[in-house]
Amino acid sequence: MEIVSITLEKLLPEVFSGMEETSRIRESRIWEVPSFTIEKGCRICIHAESGAGKSSLLSFIYGNRIDYLGSIFFNHKNIKNLNIPEWCDIRKNNIALLPQEMRLFPELTVLENIYLKNNLTGKKTHGEIEAMLSLLGIEDKKDTKVGKLSIGQQQRVAIVRTLCQPFDFIFLDEPVSHLDSENNKIAAQLIQKEAKENQAGIISTSVGNHLLLDNPEYVKL
Amino acid sequence: MKKIKTGIGTLLYKNISKGQLLGYSCANVIGLTVILCSVLFYCDSRHNLNKEDKFFSDDYIVITKKVKGINLEPVAFTQEEIEKISQQPWVKKLGGFASADFSVGASVDMGGKGMSTYLFLESVPDEFFDLLPQGWTFDEHNNYVPIVLNKDYLALYNFGFAIPQGLPQLSEDMIGTVPLKLIIRGENGRNAVFNASVVGFSSRLNTIAVPQNFMDWANSRFSDNNDKKTSRLIIKLDRLNSSGWEQFLADEGYEIAGDKEGDSKISNFLSLISGVVAANGVVICLLALFILILSIFLLLQKSRPMLRNLILLGFSPLQPSRYYEGIVLKLNSLITLFAVGLTFICRMIWTSPLGALGLGHGNVLFMLATALIYFILVSVLNIMVIRKHLWSIWLPKD
Repeated sequence: MEIVSITLEKLLPEVFSGMEETSRIRESRIWEVPSFTIEKGCRICIHAESGAGKSSLLSFIYGNRIDYLGSIFFNHKNIKNLNIPEWCDIRKNNIALLPQEMRLFPELTVLENIYLKNNLTGKKTHGEIEAMLSLLGIEDKKDTKVGKLSIGQQQRVAIVRTLCQPFDFIFLDEPVSHLDSENNKIAAQLIQKEAKENQAGIISTSVGNHLLLDNPEYVKL
Repeated sequence: MKKIKTGIGTLLYKNISKGQLLGYSCANVIGLTVILCSVLFYCDSRHNLNKEDKFFSDDYIVITKKVKGINLEPVAFTQEEIEKISQQPWVKKLGGFASADFSVGASVDMGGKGMSTYLFLESVPDEFFDLLPQGWTFDEHNNYVPIVLNKDYLALYNFGFAIPQGLPQLSEDMIGTVPLKLIIRGENGRNAVFNASVVGFSSRLNTIAVPQNFMDWANSRFSDNNDKKTSRLIIKLDRLNSSGWEQFLADEGYEIAGDKEGDSKISNFLSLISGVVAANGVVICLLALFILILSIFLLLQKSRPMLRNLILLGFSPLQPSRYYEGIVLKLNSLITLFAVGLTFICRMIWTSPLGALGLGHGNVLFMLATALIYFILVSVLNIMVIRKHLWSIWLPKD
């Protein structure tokens, strides 16, 4: 199944319930709006201050949390009606997520972490993975346990792992918060190249340090 | 092309507590060995080496009333007495011996040396046989009667009679080939001669038994006496409610035919020991099972964030579940094999003392079946716990 659009209808985290009339919610372009649609091929930077619900939004869309009001649709299907095999399939083939906490396995090496995903999808060759690591400047760390890397290095490993799957949309939760502008640019180019190949949409969040995408649409949460 | 073999197993293996699994395995091997030893010991202690009786198991007893002084009237059970016995909780099935109301003689020709003797015949309802002897039926047109003899009679003949009389000693198999003639003289003047042969031996049935349908037919043909008295009863004991039967028989003044109760007592005592040991084994196994389930819970709880991350990467909950199930199945197989091996080793300890009591070498199939059932039950339980837990991990957070 290809996902061509994601629609949010009257979406609001349960924790914000009762705050509908506050300026934070009224000024938001996503929370509580009758319909907000993301199309395949989009480039969106969602920005908001800390605690505005950026990570919650991505968790809702990825099916990791269901503590929200309103509805989310993949194409025209409400995601609360998806079953386990459908979710497994979507997470392997349609939606890639780089969570803010990265969710790497510290007891495994860089390559082991990446191959855990790549062996599931069979997307990348060893050469392609090494090339991505090399581009991001962490090729020499490939046999190092992830637990021993700095947060910035871990972010780069997580970016590579996220790209080891086919996707219609890629969600990146503050992906470059610990990267310098040079690595930010490289990461953005790499992600855009992969997205272009997949004709996929990119949705990135940040509190200020945006992923340097080409001509993104900025959306305030 | 280089490929890193990082499967889900690499990650899950690193998070398994080997100490907990070892603890479970040791406790379970001990517990299962105790259970299997008690089952095998039970089978061995129920298995009579010397006095095997394929027609009647140990669950049968034959009782008679005591003969006091000189009785001109036959000593027999009254209807009330039979009724009272049948109402006892330890009586599973009760039946009367039917005796012949006519005179019986037998003759045999052994290598030109003829021999004849007076005989008595009785019959037991076919339903009391655990295994019917071959050809155990009578057809008046066939003129042939099969006979089951008490083993002690053969011993009496071989060791008490044959040697001083210069007659050959005979094995059980040989006796079966000897053609006999049964000569019947009825009180009503009717006579008949039948071919007969011994088709089996029993140690429980201390009589000369013929098929029930022969006895019914012969009594109606050769006797006019319709007042049938039951002098001996055969009882199938209900082992689950068997306590108190010896006391009842002693109180009522009944005797158990043959001397089998001694064997039964030893056998029952050994069964009781097996039961106590098995109960201990069950307790140990339950504790071991509790350790495993606790270990699985601890492991899955400790690994919960990792398993959740795997599921968010796109892994199905079935993938880690299958890995854990594989480990549990391998572990339980090893435990079962180890326990079965240890049980056979332990058997060497009791083989010799049991052999001295004339017991041992029971069927091992029951023990093996117990091990298999235990393996299946424990594995199914383990797998259910694993699947339930992994399912709960998959569910999105509210």
